[in-house]
Amino acid sequence: MAFNFNWSPLTADERFYERARDLLTTALNKSPKPPIIVDDILVTEFNLGSVPPDLEILEIGDLAEDRFRGIFKMCYSGDAFLTLKTRVQANPLNTYLSAKPSFTSPQPLAAASSLTIPLQITLSEIKLSAFIILVFSKQKGLTIVFRNDPLESLKVSSTFDSIQFVRDYLQRTIEGKLRDLFMDELPAIIHRLSLQLWCPDQLPKEGDELKDDSEPAAVNPLATPPLDAVDAKGHLVDPTEMPSLSLDGNPEIQSLFSQRNLKGFAGLSKITSSLFAPSLKDSLFRAWAGQSDRVDGNSPPLSTPSLQRSASYNGTPHTYTFSDSGTQDNGHFPSRPSLVSLNSATTGLSLGSGRHSKTGRKKKTRVLNLRKKKDSASTSATTSTATSEAGDTASETVSTPGAMSEPIIPHLIVEEPEEELTNKVRFSTSPREQPAARSPVSEEAIKREDPPAVKRDVPITLQEQQPQSARATEKAKAEPTPLSADPSRQWKRSGPQSDTSSVILEQALIMKMAGEIARRVYDEKARNPSFWEDREDSPPPAYEAS
Amino acid sequence: MREFMHYITNAFYGATGWNDDNTYKELNTTARELIDFPLPRGLRLTLSSLATPHFATSYQLGSVDIVDGSISYLYTSVPLKNIAAKSETIPLPALLQSFRRLHDLGSRAQPCRLPTDTVQASVIPLTPTTHESQTAALPTPTETSKVGSSLLYGRLYLPQSLLEGLIIKRVSPALQVQLSAVSDQSLRNGGTMLGLVQYDKGKYGIEGLASTDGGLLGVRGLYNFGGDTSSSAIAPPLGGATSDTTGGERERIYGRFSAGGELYYGTLNKSGGMSLGGRFSTLPAHKGSPLTAALTINPLMGNISATYAVLAKDYCSLATRMEFNVYSYESEWSVGMELWSNRRPAGFLLGAAPPPPRPRERSFEEKLAWIPVGGSDTDKVTRDFAQPGLSEAKEDKYLGVLKARLDQRLRIGLLWEGRAKSLIFSLGTGIDLHKLGEPFRSLGLEVQYSS
Repeated sequence: MAFNFNWSPLTADERFYERARDLLTTALNKSPKPPIIVDDILVTEFNLGSVPPDLEILEIGDLAEDRFRGIFKMCYSGDAFLTLKTRVQANPLNTYLSAKPSFTSPQPLAAASSLTIPLQITLSEIKLSAFIILVFSKQKGLTIVFRNDPLESLKVSSTFDSIQFVRDYLQRTIEGKLRDLFMDELPAIIHRLSLQLWCPDQLPKEGDELKDDSEPAAVNPLATPPLDAVDAKGHLVDPTEMPSLSLDGNPEIQSLFSQRNLKGFAGLSKITSSLFAPSLKDSLFRAWAGQSDRVDGNSPPLSTPSLQRSASYNGTPHTYTFSDSGTQDNGHFPSRPSLVSLNSATTGLSLGSGRHSKTGRKKKTRVLNLRKKKDSASTSATTSTATSEAGDTASETVSTPGAMSEPIIPHLIVEEPEEELTNKVRFSTSPREQPAARSPVSEEAIKREDPPAVKRDVPITLQEQQPQSARATEKAKAEPTPLSADPSRQWKRSGPQSDTSSVILEQALIMKMAGEIARRVYDEKARNPSFWEDREDSPPPAYEAS
Repeated sequence: MREFMHYITNAFYGATGWNDDNTYKELNTTARELIDFPLPRGLRLTLSSLATPHFATSYQLGSVDIVDGSISYLYTSVPLKNIAAKSETIPLPALLQSFRRLHDLGSRAQPCRLPTDTVQASVIPLTPTTHESQTAALPTPTETSKVGSSLLYGRLYLPQSLLEGLIIKRVSPALQVQLSAVSDQSLRNGGTMLGLVQYDKGKYGIEGLASTDGGLLGVRGLYNFGGDTSSSAIAPPLGGATSDTTGGERERIYGRFSAGGELYYGTLNKSGGMSLGGRFSTLPAHKGSPLTAALTINPLMGNISATYAVLAKDYCSLATRMEFNVYSYESEWSVGMELWSNRRPAGFLLGAAPPPPRPRERSFEEKLAWIPVGGSDTDKVTRDFAQPGLSEAKEDKYLGVLKARLDQRLRIGLLWEGRAKSLIFSLGTGIDLHKLGEPFRSLGLEVQYSS
């Protein structure tokens, strides 16, 4: 299995920068500003650059289709830049007075008159080195926490570069501000961005608009392959060969999915929370997918790729019931095409019901029905505790009528994969909308031809972990490392190849390491409490170990 | 509306013969007060009293977001016997009027002059004739009580536990020391202190200050020339002692020039500031419309500010201010107005307005006769027949004042202040014309009662 992190596809979405700028602007203006800043801070330019950060996977705690938890080490020294514009108060007496009580103010007549100067600050040559804890859940979005202070250095250039004093002051102040931003604001921003991408229904507003442009990307993962697609052996896949790849039969295609297409992935396996659906014969899954809110009336087109994938891959026909509240309420289970058309006909209705049911939102228990008999609807249900946003009371109550109608479904669904195998994905009910929905895809295909982007993008995969970890080992040797660092590292590297007996060894070692780390942390805290406040660049001891 | 304690402090200045206008800080006070008058926010009630001639208290209760309040006490070593402290008798212009007339210089240089001159001049500046009559009634404090006199003032804001303290000590006839302090836990070091040494020699006034905040040191000075200071021996007589012999001379604009500057330096934060300024202001003896024009320049920051204020009529003052920055090319203008009214506030509730004291038929004839004649004649005639009516009529003449301002960003401030029965109220609102959807930015009512 390989992870494929894409850097530049973020930039392919031209609205990404717009959104990011807006979010940054609001974040910068949220906290009370010092009196020297007399205007709003506007983010005028923002570019992530083309050099991706180096990511090193330290630990993966949880891995599933719809959730991920891991710890990364990130080093970045790229060409990202950020330009801010604001106006500052140049009169020191004015700022001096603004924070003082008026009763003891010297009340200068005109010496405190204001002189505001427009200021443009460009932050570039940002060097970061951070330990990141990343938690992704499809329902809750992406959460990133920095374990240490990520900022190593940056270059601040401003309007006042010619004045040494001002330049130093700005450099100092902005570094301090950025540290706050990284530790506090950036996780919040990323979380909100991810919510917009994956579950816009969690946002109080602008759900519909976002849904529209996120849908085409979620339809077919193959239609929007990543820029630096690699096959299972880590070789770059020629973009021109991409159409020849099909979804069926080849397990290597898995590695084609990039971070960007995790959305498409996430719809894949509501069932077993694994990458590949198991071939359970004659089984029927009912997935109350978390996306049903997002796609309201249009869930069947969205879920077809996953349907098609799992069906074709395993070759054994089994059936799913993808039901959203709209269709369930209407109780329509005729043949598939007519269902789709009915969906479009009742879109307004289902939208309304979806909105309505949000008020009664609660934790959802996902029902997985593995049964052979019809009457075992409620008995053999296994529940997973995923907290889905779609868990509304309405959809749960109608799950039983859905089970009643299930004999009709199997042969209805089976014909769907045949249709899909020809790679004609049904985007929407009306065929004339298909080109429109495809158009971003083709744009991306054009962008994919851009050679420098492909060259510069360094895919970080697990296969490439070896040299990096070796480098990290050297680095770790330079620093005072715990005794158990190297053995554990070597052991871990050989871990995936080892058999099950090593699991016990691993557990024992981890327990030992955890105890050791905890003891060291405690000692360190007791010895030097201030260390935890002003730790600068050195990673916490817990991460030096691994 | 000036606060009661401010009024008492002004009375203290008057009683001790201190001219608090003769400082660079007050160079453009008239225009500033006409334009930058504070708007009340929320509801605020003040109960004050001058319990004894030496002691005053004031309690304030307000609600903007939360209910807050303050308690203040004031002690003076000089008895403030003849100060009207009751809110039904307190002269409204002393509390409400923005336009300031210049005081006479050198009241300390000539100890024979009654110090209460300046009190009355500042308290009731509307009528040049008033203070003549009231001066006679006031007792003259002795020179010794003036020199050692002091004022202590303390105020505690309640939910915030913020404490203000002020000491004013008159060291010598020309020297006064002020020490003000604020204690608040939100401040760095828990509080700040400001020391102020004022030296007023009539022709010039110098101030030195030091603040514990950033170690700020400052010097400012004002020098007067022209007008009453130039003619060394003959200071023009004041007020109602208008003689026809000097009348021709006063056809010209008769006023005083002042020039000054200020310089600050923060010893801890290594920053400073300075400004220069000049002012021309007519003296009370001037018979035309009193006016004040001031120009301040901040050469470090490139800021130029010009203000002009005029008392166009007895009941109307106008002020404008223009600011320009030669470095950033930013400019700003604002205008302010003050309109006095003899109508009763909320007359429909409290009854009809009293008839004006002036006999109607007389004034009508006069008006007919005055139209072709020049201004000086008019003034003389008005003064002639206004003479007998005099002070109590003037006191009651105005019952309210409307203040308005408008600035470059089309923000309007409106304030209506006046007396209703024995309450002095102040009702104000701020309007932003740029946001017509919800134009009212603030709304407030202040009510003050004193006994």
